[in-house]
Amino acid sequence: MARTEAQAAAAALAAFHRKAAARTVLTHAVLLAACLLCVYPLLRMISVSLRPGDRLMSTDLSLLPAGASLTSYLRVAKETNFLLWLWNSLVITLVTSFIGVSLAATGGYAFSRFKFPGSKLGLTLLLGTQMIPAGMLLLPLFLMIMRLGLINTYLGMIVAYSVTSLPFSVWILKGYYDTVPRSLEEAALVDGTSRFGAFYRIVLPLSTPALSIAFLFNFTQAWNEYLVARVVLCDAQKYTWTLGLFELQGQFITQWGMFAAGSLLVTVPVLCVFLYSSKWLISGLTLGGVKG
Amino acid sequence: MTTRGRLSLLLAAGLCGLAACRQAPPGDPDRRIVVWEHDDASVAPYIDSVLAAFCKLPGNEGVSIVRTHYHTEDMRQQFQTASIAGNPPDLLLSASDAAGIYAISGFIQPVDGLFDLSRYNPAVVAAITQDGKTWGVPVTNGNHLMLFYNKRLAPRPPRTTDELFAFCSGRAPKLGLGHCLAFHLGEPYWLVPWLGAFGGWPMAGRVPTLDTSAMRQAVEFMLELKRRGFIPGECDYNGMDALFKESKVAFIINGDWAISTYERQLGAALGVAMIPKLSRTGRWPVPMVSGKYFMLSSRLQGRKLALVKRLVEFYTDEENQVGQARALKRLPALARANSARTIQDDPNLRASLDQILVGKPLPMATELRAVWDAMRPLFGKVLSGQMGVDEAVRRMQADAETKIREMKE
Amino acid sequence: MISSLLQVARFVALLALAVAALEGYLHYHFTCYGRRWFVPASAAAAAALACAAALLFTGRTAGQVLCSVLSAAAVEAVAALVFSHVVRGRHGLPVMLLAPGLIGLGLLIAYPLAFEVYLAFHDLKLTTIMVWSRTGYIPFVGFKHFVKVFTASPLASVTFWQLLGRTLWWTFINVFFHVTGGFGLAMLLNSVRRFRGIYRTLLVIPWAMPQVVAILAMRGEFHYDYGFVNIMLGRLAGHLPWLAGWGLGPVQWLGRHALLTCTIINVWLGIPFMMVVILGGLQSISQSYYDAAAIDGASAWQRLRLITLPLIRPVLAPAVTLGAVWTFNNINVIYLVTGQAGGSEDADILVSALYKAAFTFYRYSYSAALALVIFAVLFVCSFLWLRFSKGSESVYG
Repeated sequence: MARTEAQAAAAALAAFHRKAAARTVLTHAVLLAACLLCVYPLLRMISVSLRPGDRLMSTDLSLLPAGASLTSYLRVAKETNFLLWLWNSLVITLVTSFIGVSLAATGGYAFSRFKFPGSKLGLTLLLGTQMIPAGMLLLPLFLMIMRLGLINTYLGMIVAYSVTSLPFSVWILKGYYDTVPRSLEEAALVDGTSRFGAFYRIVLPLSTPALSIAFLFNFTQAWNEYLVARVVLCDAQKYTWTLGLFELQGQFITQWGMFAAGSLLVTVPVLCVFLYSSKWLISGLTLGGVKG
Repeated sequence: MTTRGRLSLLLAAGLCGLAACRQAPPGDPDRRIVVWEHDDASVAPYIDSVLAAFCKLPGNEGVSIVRTHYHTEDMRQQFQTASIAGNPPDLLLSASDAAGIYAISGFIQPVDGLFDLSRYNPAVVAAITQDGKTWGVPVTNGNHLMLFYNKRLAPRPPRTTDELFAFCSGRAPKLGLGHCLAFHLGEPYWLVPWLGAFGGWPMAGRVPTLDTSAMRQAVEFMLELKRRGFIPGECDYNGMDALFKESKVAFIINGDWAISTYERQLGAALGVAMIPKLSRTGRWPVPMVSGKYFMLSSRLQGRKLALVKRLVEFYTDEENQVGQARALKRLPALARANSARTIQDDPNLRASLDQILVGKPLPMATELRAVWDAMRPLFGKVLSGQMGVDEAVRRMQADAETKIREMKE
Repeated sequence: MISSLLQVARFVALLALAVAALEGYLHYHFTCYGRRWFVPASAAAAAALACAAALLFTGRTAGQVLCSVLSAAAVEAVAALVFSHVVRGRHGLPVMLLAPGLIGLGLLIAYPLAFEVYLAFHDLKLTTIMVWSRTGYIPFVGFKHFVKVFTASPLASVTFWQLLGRTLWWTFINVFFHVTGGFGLAMLLNSVRRFRGIYRTLLVIPWAMPQVVAILAMRGEFHYDYGFVNIMLGRLAGHLPWLAGWGLGPVQWLGRHALLTCTIINVWLGIPFMMVVILGGLQSISQSYYDAAAIDGASAWQRLRLITLPLIRPVLAPAVTLGAVWTFNNINVIYLVTGQAGGSEDADILVSALYKAAFTFYRYSYSAALALVIFAVLFVCSFLWLRFSKGSESVYG
């Protein structure tokens, strides 16, 4: 009796394990397929960059094309001002990100901890700024930057970029601050620090995850931006990589090999920054929302 | 640190920054020329070399020229915006299609009194003339479509469409070619030569003339090419380019801007010829001809204008025009330069010249843009079988008229 | 290299100066408002500053200097009165914290927006640009452009209402697939034990790549002759002729199905963002909930419906709202896939039609009016959505 019961239990357990194993295999298969879908266009760009002759298209689906060579990469590095563009982009993007995060950190704190008249309206307006159709503001933006004398300067770019990522960053940080219990600051206030000191010394260090996300968001937005850079910069020495790389696109003729090589070289640092902070990304994006 | 302490630190830092802000005064603005161009990136070194040569001429000490490159669409918007803001470049080196817009907006000045335009080819000057005024100085002649062929696949180019069809039905399958002719089906610019061969033209003066029997015949001709498998079902610029570079097609119709690229890729196997004569009407296809022009900002005057005038004359003198043909494989605008050995000895350039002789000037009118925008989607719909020829042609005319009216009201 | 660093350092210092001046001004107004000398002293200081500025920077005539001095004193007197009687030092810290950001936003968004409103009520187009750039005058036309927005259309082939409908449909379909796709992937990712990092890394690539490059790469895959999709379809049709008989074969993606192609590309682009958001939400749900449910005998579907969905809702709501807004205004995908040479108008949504009207035909005033209408539509829609979805609780806290 006991043996058949044990056998039945063992059989049931084995069946359960088989089902679980099948489910795991299926899960991995689906995830693998999704990964392939996500990565494939990137791989195709790699083959364009390796293909000789500036040919964007080919019926040859192999990832390593016939006659593959690294000439496009070498040409991009030598014939164009690629490193200069990267440097310009890096400088502008880093400064923008730091300024943007600072403004968002203080702004988010204000919205989170204080109930002042217009705070709810302010948040709605911040959301509203995301709704303005892009490109509509280009003409007046150009006129204004012209009148302020900021044409062709880093300052114009930095100010424009810091401000456009502000709404999203403020939302993220406000949400995060909402989950940080006020008791910590109250304890600090009792000990005699100022309000700002409580923010600076207690809350800010705790919010590194959300700050990283805001930084990452600012970084990606500024790094990939084209329209505003096109309007503000006209000195080839100051070009960011978006302007520089799109110089390779003519009206009809495009040097696709170099364009693809340049695009990939530009994507790699972004991916690295992204992947390094992906831990923060996961935990930070949520801590603002989930209560309790 | 107290709030006040922090604020004073910020203040001190800011004052340092302000102090460090004093920059060197800029050079004499009258000796500094700003040029904008939208040519391909491979042309830039040539342009820079000529500009540098100008600066080295005696009497040009202290002259500096700044060249900025823009994408075609960007340059149009940026020039418009910069002119509105009062800070336009001095010279534009551009094709003629946007000249109409600049002229109406008052941002460029007519050049009739400033230059001797009889030195240049009449057709290329005609493409930048409107209402009796000429709005630019031609630099290159062309920007036109012609037939490119692969000598390894087709040793001799077809002179008529009947010969072309014979090749496509006969030789091409034997060579294993899926299609024998390819061109950019998405842009109406490629339809115009065939429209001309049927006796039509997109505009008469400033009025669109799209609803004609010639247009219907031209569109049906395209459908016939597609039905018989001579051209691919869907083909854009990059597709046509790839097919030719991979030797998967014997003939393509492309522009003079591509001559130097294909010569680099195919070497001696590249052949250039006129687009074959249409057998059923006996007419040569009529590509639109214009070129690249120097356009002068309307704010130029006095000493600056004189300096810019000297630059333009230097750029388009005979020596530089012949040098340009050698370097860029583009035909010169200066009439005398066409007889230079460099051009006459090059079979590809000679074929290009022959093609220009049967072409017609590209209209400068702003209405042309509305015509392109009306033709483009409807032509696409006909090709993909979503609409009938008759309905499409009628709607092209109606759409073009609507867009022109909206632009003006 | 060094010179650009120095330049940037100079600019940062300038910004610091501006922020310090602003904060100092506000600090003074929030702390000293009670003193008796507050109003006159502030007015006098403003007058002195205006005088110095006018003399130093522009060297205007005496009349202009006097005018600017008096106006500065008057404005500052009013401000000081407001601070001393209405504000009375309350909400000092939040205002000081928000001031730099809000002023920057005001400068960069409010001024252009006001300019667009101005344009929408006047008539700036190709034939009036010359007069405007020389004299600054454009004719006032009132609501003419707004009427035209609703009655005429920026495109020849569809009306405004059809465009609006197409845009709403585009937004809905995209957000639906973003959320379901992201949710599915997040659930799968949450349940595997090994390789999770690698999967997460690879799946995030469409979001991390510069959008332009990603869109160009994907567009290439839908090319008729050279795209991966058609090549595969062609090969499949070759191997399975009976399917070819049913119409399987290369498809004219960009020619006949432009909007579908754009949708597929945008879905591919947007799923990683949703996946990451939802995955974070899933990971923060404590396991104890599931254990309790298992003890109570809940099925997988019940666990999903009653535990998972409600608990990720506060995370999902802002993301979906933002995602919908971004999708509605997404001009990049449509423009890059179809807007350039050889493109069709079938895929145009409101913003891409707007862009074409403004920059192809120079109908600046018309497009300004259209932009304001689009903005209003979006604002109303999201306001209603936030109201009725109760997601606003997690947003406004």
